[in-house]
Amino acid sequence: MITVNLPNPIGEEHWGLWIALYFFLAGTTGGAYLLSVLFYGKDQGLVRRSALWAFLGVVVGAGLLVIDLGQPLRFLNLLLNGLYPASVMWLGSWFLVLAGAGLLWVYLGPTSRGVQQGVAVLVALVVGYTAVLLMQTAKPFWNASPLLPWLFLASAATAGGALLQLWYPHEKLSRLVTVSALVEGAVLALHLIWTYPAATPGVLALLVGPLAWAFWGFVVVGWGLPLFLERRNVALAALLTLVGAFLLRYFVVMAGQV
Amino acid sequence: MPNPKDYAILFDASRCIGCKACQVACKQWNDLEAEKTKNRGSYANPPKLTAHTWITMRYYEGLKPEGDPYFDFIRGSCMHCTHAPCVSACPTGAMAHREGGVVTVDEKTCIGCRSCVQACPYEAVHFDEAKGVVHKCTMCYDRISHGDQPACVKACPADALTFGTYQEIRAMAEERVRALKERGYARANVYGLAELGGTHVLYVLTEHPSQYDLPKAVREAEKRAATGWLSAGIAAAVLGAGLKFIVERREALKGGGQ
Ligand code: SF4
Ligand code: SF4
Repeated sequence: MITVNLPNPIGEEHWGLWIALYFFLAGTTGGAYLLSVLFYGKDQGLVRRSALWAFLGVVVGAGLLVIDLGQPLRFLNLLLNGLYPASVMWLGSWFLVLAGAGLLWVYLGPTSRGVQQGVAVLVALVVGYTAVLLMQTAKPFWNASPLLPWLFLASAATAGGALLQLWYPHEKLSRLVTVSALVEGAVLALHLIWTYPAATPGVLALLVGPLAWAFWGFVVVGWGLPLFLERRNVALAALLTLVGAFLLRYFVVMAGQV
Repeated sequence: MPNPKDYAILFDASRCIGCKACQVACKQWNDLEAEKTKNRGSYANPPKLTAHTWITMRYYEGLKPEGDPYFDFIRGSCMHCTHAPCVSACPTGAMAHREGGVVTVDEKTCIGCRSCVQACPYEAVHFDEAKGVVHKCTMCYDRISHGDQPACVKACPADALTFGTYQEIRAMAEERVRALKERGYARANVYGLAELGGTHVLYVLTEHPSQYDLPKAVREAEKRAATGWLSAGIAAAVLGAGLKFIVERREALKGGGQ
């Protein structure tokens, strides 16, 4: 039995670092694929390259999920034990499998735009379900506002754009990343205000408590600084945005369990 | 509404003397190991349920608005919900209703994903790190299916716990509230009739549920997930179309293609 317990600042959590890391990997690489299909459909080289990245993101992420299970060797139960569509965890497992297969297909052979867009829908489901998974719980920081999917999708666009920028600096991408980062910041602020009455301890842990390092680290280093650097040093801005995307997933996962 | 013939437990807070006989009996019957605890300045000990503590009594003391002191006790344990969020969230069917409406986890199927832990509004399911599966109250399924009472009910010296069919238990609870109201407890009420499709553990309370930290108006997991999917769908459409519009329009205005 492999159970992983990493040091955590809030004392008690059931989903921790592995889950946050998986959300980050799937969100970022999935976001990059979505953007390349949406904005650079003509550039097949880019689409296929981002499909490879997203495939790796999905595979490594799924590996982290399996490690995180209390009984990793039973992970096939997730897929083979019957149909549980009411369970977001069950649906998400299938989205992962299907998106992974689709991404591999897009990477390996020339595919039509239609196929690539179909796979993009699966990838969007993978990126989006992670937020719905959190919303299905009884934790007010995750479900007292309906904004978590907006936050995760906006963050996937920002971080996915940043990932593309690393090997494909393009003016349009800069604009994309800037706009989606602004949306992401606004959604985050709104989410905190909205959930504050129901999830006061979680919000306070972020603002002034044990998770403040991750929250303010995100705001300053992973969000504000890259916005400022976007026109000055794209590569550095992109790297910081990726760090920020991880911090965001981490503090969202932890704050729900305060 | 639970089936009238289902199993049910009544906890009568107006009769409970806070002696924890139920808590101890549960440990003994279910062979649950002891917890290492600290003195936290409260009789509640351990303060929360764990994988090895399936019932814990909580204590509330203070002064009423009229100036009278109160010292109230409440049972914290699984409520055996009819529309149980833990069951909806489970991706493998390990957490399920058994005959008589009792919710238990099948440890041979459970993969330890902790969806149920996050979904339960009563924090009644917990993850056993050593075994890699979750545990919770089984309503002593091994006893009741052989015609005996749950261990906690049998141990209660104050008649605060009663076991029976849902029909009997519900009638008893309503009768008890009527009697309490007559005796001057104007706010007496039955908790568990409306929550999550009706719970198989009903509480007779002398005060509003919030006085005992009991959640009111808990949403079912299906509804929480449905809100999530809807929000995710809108977010994906709005963000995708919005980004495309903003970014490409700038492009068109500038008159430059890619
Ligand atoms: S109280 Fe929690 S563990 Fe018990 S049936 Fe309801 S949701 Fe499941
Ligand atoms: S931890 Fe076990 S019982 Fe709980 S949701 Fe996962 S598989 Fe089901």
